[in-house]
Amino acid sequence: MAHCERASKPLLQCLQKASTRGLPALQLSSTRAFQTSARVQEEAQSEAQKQPFNKSPDPALVSSPRLERRLIRQGISPVGSRRRRAALQGSANIPFAQLPYQCFQEARKVLLQDREEKLEEITRLREKIARLEARPTEEAGGEQVKKSRLGGMQKHLEHLKVLADINDPQVKKKFEDGQGDMSKPIYRYLADQKWREYRRKILVQRITQMKVVPDVLPHCDPIVDTKLYFNRSAVQPGDFVQANASTTAPKLDIQLFEGGEKLVTIAVVDPDVPNLETDSFDFRTHYLAVNVPISAISTKVDLAQLSADSQVVLPWEAPVTQKGSPYHRLSLFILEQKDSQPLDFAAVKAKESVRDNQLLRTLQGRYHLKAIGAHLFRSQWDETTLEVMEKIGFPLADVELRRKKIDPLPYKRRNPSTFR
Amino acid sequence: MLQSRFLTPMRLLERAIAPSLRSSQSLTRSSTITPSSILPRPISATPSPLSSRLLLPLSQVRHASHASQGAGNRHSRDPAGKRLGAKRSGGEYVVPGCIIFRQRGTKWFPGENCALGRDHTIYATEAGYVRYYLDPELHPDRKFIGVCFEKEGKLPTPRNAPSRRKLNRVAVPRIEIADESPARSDLTAHVGADGVVVASVDAATAAQGGPQLRPGYMYREANWQIGRAAEKAGITAKPYNSKNRWLAWRKRQARADRAAQMKSLKNKKKTKKGKGGR
Repeated sequence: MAHCERASKPLLQCLQKASTRGLPALQLSSTRAFQTSARVQEEAQSEAQKQPFNKSPDPALVSSPRLERRLIRQGISPVGSRRRRAALQGSANIPFAQLPYQCFQEARKVLLQDREEKLEEITRLREKIARLEARPTEEAGGEQVKKSRLGGMQKHLEHLKVLADINDPQVKKKFEDGQGDMSKPIYRYLADQKWREYRRKILVQRITQMKVVPDVLPHCDPIVDTKLYFNRSAVQPGDFVQANASTTAPKLDIQLFEGGEKLVTIAVVDPDVPNLETDSFDFRTHYLAVNVPISAISTKVDLAQLSADSQVVLPWEAPVTQKGSPYHRLSLFILEQKDSQPLDFAAVKAKESVRDNQLLRTLQGRYHLKAIGAHLFRSQWDETTLEVMEKIGFPLADVELRRKKIDPLPYKRRNPSTFR
Repeated sequence: MLQSRFLTPMRLLERAIAPSLRSSQSLTRSSTITPSSILPRPISATPSPLSSRLLLPLSQVRHASHASQGAGNRHSRDPAGKRLGAKRSGGEYVVPGCIIFRQRGTKWFPGENCALGRDHTIYATEAGYVRYYLDPELHPDRKFIGVCFEKEGKLPTPRNAPSRRKLNRVAVPRIEIADESPARSDLTAHVGADGVVVASVDAATAAQGGPQLRPGYMYREANWQIGRAAEKAGITAKPYNSKNRWLAWRKRQARADRAAQMKSLKNKKKTKKGKGGR
């Protein structure tokens, strides 16, 4: 008996007791013990040609680590926790509505009633919004008033949509199993909460501690979850990426938590290009693409696959760091275009043809962009940098940076006359 | 402690009244007056200021017992100064590593281009001009010391402005670091075409390393040969298994037992010594 199976034994005992008393119809199916052999026998009688479990394990029921690994290798991830999967192996998997617990059913009734109330409220609010929209502007008290009232009502409507489903155990289960439908507001809301709980905090900490936010852009409040992949391996915000891994453009997974589609501009900027003449650092744009559509359901963006004649302004340039130079921060920003209107690609391409010292602040002001997402990775000199430099024709490959020696302050007499 | 604190004002009072007492009473009696004797006396006993001032120079008698009070540990109460404080004032030019402020605890915090040392000393990390400033946006009640690149520059910089940095590097031709000669050890590693090949020292070196006169006037084998004695004898240790908690528990128990034994031995020695001393 596996560890998880032993752990879920009390649950099973509870189930057995309840079913023998409360629900005779389900007694047969729910009083089975954890021994899978009995079940296999039953099923063997019903359908003889069924494959054994260890040949084709069910992702919802598999509990042994070996079978789990096999599933993961096939590209199927097991559903939920191992403990839950082990418990489900022996249970009859009765739907919530038929579970034989009186208190549970009473509680469900309360939740269902609450949901009914919320749905009623939603229909009422929808009617109200329709009425307000139908009214002429003068009667509603001016354009500004009408607009603000409509905006407030829409916001409340979205809130009600979330409230209607937030207490549903089925919704919670689906979301936790990763089967949530992101086109529905409730799952978007839950995903947003989950992102804000940990991943967003990490991201914000990285971009502020590594000073990306005052250096590249004055301000950024991320509202989309961005994941970055180089060669199918995910990069955490702020990770060092090897030079040969970042020769090809990364793939992005941009999760929007709002309904509708947005057109965004994606820019990768390096604010750490050493400049020996001015003894400071320059900027360099490694990538720039405009009019990239993102939405809650279509999240994958491959920077290498974007169309060169309508989206990519500056194609990907592999980041390399000279030997001895401080590490380079490659900051990726996702900037929302104003009112999700497409930018004039030809005009942008004509204007933004220079990579060096192109400030993202300037672009932001010029095209009325707003930063809604960010990511960050770093690059430094490593063993693969040299070959990448040769491949891309980096001009300063044979130059190394050394720390400049700063002259010490002149010697000061320890016992000057003022001390005496 | 409490009593003595209570008595100090009384002592002062006594000092003030003593002359007047002396004027009224005999000198011998006034010198023996103790604070306790003065306690119940009403405050109205304070003499007129004129008479006391007249008699003051006469009454300044400091006896030896009184003068030496507290002199024994005066220096421990008032230790030598630690030379803390500002070493560079605002606007002064500093270079990296230059100490700007010595302090106990963080009276001042390191601001831009400054760092905090092990003993909270603030030193410069860039060459520039020292600034002492407040940064209410960063922290409402901290005082900061920063280094500014320009002589007339101002700190703090606005929160949204890009940070001002200096490269402080020079370009030199890149030099390939040649492979260092392999370190001498009993196991030699060569990076070949098919990965790293690890082998023992060759026979010639091994033969050379027999018992010889070695540092410390000892005729013995080389350290690396001694180190491989167990291997030669064919003694193998069990591979460590982190899941073998039973073995781990036994080992921990053995160590605890040994520690307890050592402790008891130590105590025994102490007691014996004490007895011997008597």
